[in-house]
Amino acid sequence: MTRFIILRIIQAFVTLIVISMVIFALARASGDPVMLMAPPMATLEDIEVIRKHLGLDKSLPEQYWVFLKNMTRGDLGKSIQNRRDVTTIMWERLPNTVSLSLPAIFLGISVSLILGVTAACRRATWVDSGVKFLAILGQALPSFWLAIVAISVFAVLLGWLPTSGMGSPAHYVLPVLTLSFFMLPIFTRLLRSSMLEVLDTEYVKLARIKGLSERVVVWKHALRNAIIPLLTAAGITFATIVTGAVIIETVFAWPGLGRLMAEAMIRRDFPVVQAAVLLVAVVVLVVNLLVDIVYAYVDPRIRY
Amino acid sequence: MSSDIAIARAGFGTRVRHIWQTSRRLPLIPIIIMSAVVFVAIFADLITPYPPNEMLLPDRLTPPFFMPEGSTAHILGTDTIGRDILSRMMFGARISLSVSLLVIAIATVIGTVLGMLAGYRRGRVDAVLMRVTDAALAFPALLIALLLAVALGPSFRTVVLALSALSWAPYARMMRGEVLKIRDEDFVGQARIIGGSQARILIKHIFPNVVNTLVVLMTMSVGLVILIEASLSFLGAGIPPPTPSWGSMVADGRNLFNRAWWISLFPSLAIGSVVLSGNFLGDWIRDKMDPRLRQL
Repeated sequence: MTRFIILRIIQAFVTLIVISMVIFALARASGDPVMLMAPPMATLEDIEVIRKHLGLDKSLPEQYWVFLKNMTRGDLGKSIQNRRDVTTIMWERLPNTVSLSLPAIFLGISVSLILGVTAACRRATWVDSGVKFLAILGQALPSFWLAIVAISVFAVLLGWLPTSGMGSPAHYVLPVLTLSFFMLPIFTRLLRSSMLEVLDTEYVKLARIKGLSERVVVWKHALRNAIIPLLTAAGITFATIVTGAVIIETVFAWPGLGRLMAEAMIRRDFPVVQAAVLLVAVVVLVVNLLVDIVYAYVDPRIRY
Repeated sequence: MSSDIAIARAGFGTRVRHIWQTSRRLPLIPIIIMSAVVFVAIFADLITPYPPNEMLLPDRLTPPFFMPEGSTAHILGTDTIGRDILSRMMFGARISLSVSLLVIAIATVIGTVLGMLAGYRRGRVDAVLMRVTDAALAFPALLIALLLAVALGPSFRTVVLALSALSWAPYARMMRGEVLKIRDEDFVGQARIIGGSQARILIKHIFPNVVNTLVVLMTMSVGLVILIEASLSFLGAGIPPPTPSWGSMVADGRNLFNRAWWISLFPSLAIGSVVLSGNFLGDWIRDKMDPRLRQL
């Protein structure tokens, strides 16, 4: 087990190095930062001074080394737009994204638990086809459009909820709902098929023969085993939440990390986007690492 | 088989009935929607009522024809600067389809080669390739696209590059699994004994056995790619304006939804119905060709 964990940590570390190389290469491909920073009247000597100041006169491997060193110190550069530390900006925005996505994840998982289990238990009835239809529809409809419709119906037409921004608890309702709807289809489908498999096993039959009530069989014995395969979907869930956060935060003018990225992209503020992508990459790696370890712990057959 | 022979012997009426019964099992609505979109995308230049970027300022914010102030001159209405929505949607179909076809082609080639190599060679090659695949699978495609849009500037090429950058991963994963299943079959071993090279064994003997799975995965990803492209254009990281794309059209009408809902409604419906049709067709082809994959 220890050997497996150490091996996985090394692998994750190597992946991180590769990702940092890709980002570094893209940063250099994004154009000459000196030209962006130099005032229009700058002479050739001025440009040379700035170049030296930024360390761009060194060789590429040396520049990459500096980039790595700064990265490990948490120094991700300054925003081109307002010259503020990227790390500071991200720390300001992070709580807003977390407070939006945690309730959305919770809601999404609870609703898809109910839908997935009900559909699996009533296989091939109208309940099942209804849930399946909802899941297919949810995967096909553009979520950004769903958010726009929600705003115009509940905020503008009916006036029940605020259109956008962040403040009172009422501001949370629409963004949380639309974000949770993002992950609903995938989770429901996964849970349904995993439940179907478990309901077919011998131990579920045994539990029924023992005379346990159907509720206990389904929600205690079957569900517990059906959830384990869903662990592997944690990585996908995280990716969905990140994508969702970028879109939903943009539509609802929510001051989180997602909107920060979208806005930085439009202003071509490379350091900000680069930092955000790095942060997400680190979280993705950590999530997958944890999932692998937990999975190997829960199911000892999975080992490398 | 025997029923085919029976039908061949049967009279005209039976044959017609047989065709009718087979066609009833086809997903007709998705097929019609998809063929319509393909047709429109190919012949957009010839059939659009207006050039996609022509601004008719006096006609701006015309509602669709069935509304009181609407006119049949602009069947689906116009946007804030008087561009015809229907014409723009037709050209948007071209963007959506060409992006998804290109991306799927690139993803298929990269994913198949890497996946087959990993599955056939096993060992170290497999371990390294699958780690890379895992990383690519877990990473949100939208972020790579945003990063590329900043680094290289938004353009058609950037969008295709960004979407291909990660979408090969599911193909690699799937192909590896399929190759692992059959690499120890007798016919592969016999091909090796005869002295077939690795490339020959992979292409001639293994590939024909996994091509079904590949086709299924390809059809199933059409909708997904179109949806991501639309999200990118919506955020402004897709095809730059004024080129019409469904996602950016929705974004155009985003703040006017209560005054001019048609600007964003029709493109959204286009996205939704194409993605839905793509998914249905994918499901149907999967059930026909490879029912084992039903769990996907």
